[in-house]
Amino acid sequence: MIRLENVTKSYSTEVVAVKDASFDVAKGEFVFLVGPSGSGKSTLLRMLNRQDRPERGAVWVAGRNIVDLPGARVPMLRRNIGNIFQDYKLLLEKNVFENVAFAQEVIGRPKHVIRQQVPAVLDLVGLSGKEERMPNQLSGGEQQRVSIARAFVNRPLILLADEPTGNLDPATGEGIMRLLDRINKTGTTIVMATHDQRIVNTMRKRVIQLDRGIIVRDQARGVYE
Amino acid sequence: MLSRLRYTFRETFDSFRRNATLTVASIITAAISLLGVGLTFLSQHGFDNLLAKWEGGVEMIIFMRPDATVDQRALIEQNLDANGQFIESWSYCDVECSLLEKDRVLAGEPGTADLVDETNIPTQYKAVPTDETDVDLLRSVTEAFSEGPGVFEVVFAEDQISLIEQLQSFFGFRLFLLSGFLLLAAVLLIWNTIRTAIFARRREIEVMKLVGATDWFIRIPFMLEGLLHGVIGGSLASAGLFVWNSQWTNGVQGFPENSGFAALVITDGYDKTVMLIMLGIGALAGAIGSGIAASKFLDI
Repeated sequence: MIRLENVTKSYSTEVVAVKDASFDVAKGEFVFLVGPSGSGKSTLLRMLNRQDRPERGAVWVAGRNIVDLPGARVPMLRRNIGNIFQDYKLLLEKNVFENVAFAQEVIGRPKHVIRQQVPAVLDLVGLSGKEERMPNQLSGGEQQRVSIARAFVNRPLILLADEPTGNLDPATGEGIMRLLDRINKTGTTIVMATHDQRIVNTMRKRVIQLDRGIIVRDQARGVYE
Repeated sequence: MLSRLRYTFRETFDSFRRNATLTVASIITAAISLLGVGLTFLSQHGFDNLLAKWEGGVEMIIFMRPDATVDQRALIEQNLDANGQFIESWSYCDVECSLLEKDRVLAGEPGTADLVDETNIPTQYKAVPTDETDVDLLRSVTEAFSEGPGVFEVVFAEDQISLIEQLQSFFGFRLFLLSGFLLLAAVLLIWNTIRTAIFARRREIEVMKLVGATDWFIRIPFMLEGLLHGVIGGSLASAGLFVWNSQWTNGVQGFPENSGFAALVITDGYDKTVMLIMLGIGALAGAIGSGIAASKFLDI
């Protein structure tokens, strides 16, 4: 599903964010990217949805090298990739239903499809009955569930999660991880950047560890070291 | 398709509401600048009316008495042909042609215009000289024709044309320059309004891009917003121009006869053409301002 071949990305001559990174992620796999702040986790995620481009190397997503993908084709790529963020990135003037529906509306899904699929995904993330709530009327965990619902409503092949539990207390974070695990079991590939040692050690999924842009460990059913 | 259209219009009008102060400012600026453009067009047309009877290089007009006979006219025509070394060409403006010209020249003096009809209007011979710079020669030709049979009056263009053309050039250049600057200000204000609208919605745009919205899908509501600024500005300017022209027309009717302003009144429907031009320029200014902003500031 995802393949990186000798990928290098730097932001200046002194700052190399990712250096000569190579790995494969199979369809339906759940992978943690771990490492200290500035180790290149977020940069890797940004390269997977073409927010950033590497100077060298190839990034294959769903069988296509996206490094040289023409700009006009990038939206099509992104329709197959869901994004979850530490700060949720919800639209504050839209309610829960509208936030999730927005992801379908902007890619031109018809209204009857939106009316059918949004309640289903809100039910999946445990937010049924809260469709009319505004983001500021929700807890942090609930806001992250809205963000996950928005990322998943178009049934992407891949979910990229950047520190999704970073702003949540441990119990709420565990709830979010159970939800991501459920989504992963539907066949969706998940790549998640995290600092959260407890979650990584509990989930026992594949772990790719980065240190100053270099992959120093790639371990199946790994733990945080 | 319908859902996209609904989305586009909803976002456009939401943006109007969220950005009300800047929106109103850019519409007013567009309206004032377009009104300036419209007034420039109208004033130029007014000067064209003043020069109407001198169109095509005509320097001398022989007005015939309404009761001039066919023989008298034939004699004048023979003399015009005979003076081929001084007169390059000539044309005859019959009763119908003279009545049409009267409608333009006396547009602002309907009282006077009503007194002239097909029974008493002088027909005209319009002559183009071989050398319009030889004023003394032209003056002597004019004097010779004024003695002819059936001739009411012979008018020599030199002084009148020169003054009108100077005025037209003076006002035309300065008004166009002023309108150009005002239009530029309107485009820049629309550009800035759209940039502010994009900045205010940067989070939304980021999410849209990440879920796979195309750049055009994101851009079109902003471009439509700018286009509407220009079109609304153009509509307000058109309304302003209509009021201005109506009041000017009424005002000139109250001026003393032969004040010289009668021809500066536009009654031939040209004002409607100018209104359409203003709407077009407004739409173009809006599209340019918003198009540049939406293309330049979308990468946020």
